[in-house]
Amino acid sequence: MPTPTYTPLANVTLGSAATSVTFSSIPATYRDLIVVHSGLLTSGGQEIRLRYNGDSGSSYSYVEMTGTGSSATSSTSSSMTYAYGGLVYTTVANSIVQIMDYSATDKHKTGLTRSNNSANNVVAFAHRWANTAAITSLELSIGGNLWAAGATFNLYGVIA
Amino acid sequence: MKLIESKTLVTAQASIEFTSIPQTYTDLRFVLSLRSSRAAPVENAYLQFNNSSTSYTYRRLYGTGSGTFSGTETKIYFDPPAGSSTSNTFGNTSIYIPNYAGSTNKSVSIDDVTENNATLSYQLLSAGLWSNTSAITSVKFLSDTGSNFTADSVVSLYGILKGSDGIVTTS
Repeated sequence: MPTPTYTPLANVTLGSAATSVTFSSIPATYRDLIVVHSGLLTSGGQEIRLRYNGDSGSSYSYVEMTGTGSSATSSTSSSMTYAYGGLVYTTVANSIVQIMDYSATDKHKTGLTRSNNSANNVVAFAHRWANTAAITSLELSIGGNLWAAGATFNLYGVIA
Repeated sequence: MKLIESKTLVTAQASIEFTSIPQTYTDLRFVLSLRSSRAAPVENAYLQFNNSSTSYTYRRLYGTGSGTFSGTETKIYFDPPAGSSTSNTFGNTSIYIPNYAGSTNKSVSIDDVTENNATLSYQLLSAGLWSNTSAITSVKFLSDTGSNFTADSVVSLYGILKGSDGIVTTS
């Protein structure tokens, strides 16, 4: 496994409540991408919806395993309109997404998400985007919910 | 990602502590290769921030080699191998702490494997939270059973910087 260099590419700290964050014009000069999110919602709970290159078609599939604190479960689904970039609630939590070989043009893109919320659940997702295009932008959105001000989003590049 | 400090135990010790952690990074990552002298296959190791013993919540998903489970605790645990696990094996643990110098509560991500050439071997995915808004200036790793970490245990601390906001939009 290559040494993860975590070259910083972009960062945002929300100054006010928001429903989406988009990283665009991502340089193609790295092997993998890593997104680190830390924050909480203003109310309720919601999945972080991860989409590449603005694609909201049924192009995403995933398998996941979850620890709720009392049980361990696993599930899978296909033809999703987004990948899972984590789960977020009203206590501070983090999620870390690694996207492999994101600039290749001969393979579907895959990613691993670790979602860490000590008050609700621990989840590991693996997802596939059924598209061979190089990833040049990615969006994280929260459906009809709102991230509270102070949430942070960091994008890193990993050199092979 | 830049190495801040690495510690290798020359002799067995009850704890390993990093103090005066610089506040100039965005996130911290610890990489641990530990083994305990406890007379059992697994050690219940945990961490403390700023020498605080309170305000921790923890939730984990783990496999034992024969089943999968989930649970909660009031310490942020990880499970290196101990005295009755396979000789010369050390655990692998990665601990990621976003926004450690910020003024919000501190969340933690842990990936952890016991390493034991036997049926019983733990693999854990864990989430921790320290409900304290203080900046993290020190981190201590301890045994919950009073045992020592053995010689040749290694802990490395890395700092990770954030990028600029030039290619980000929010709505």
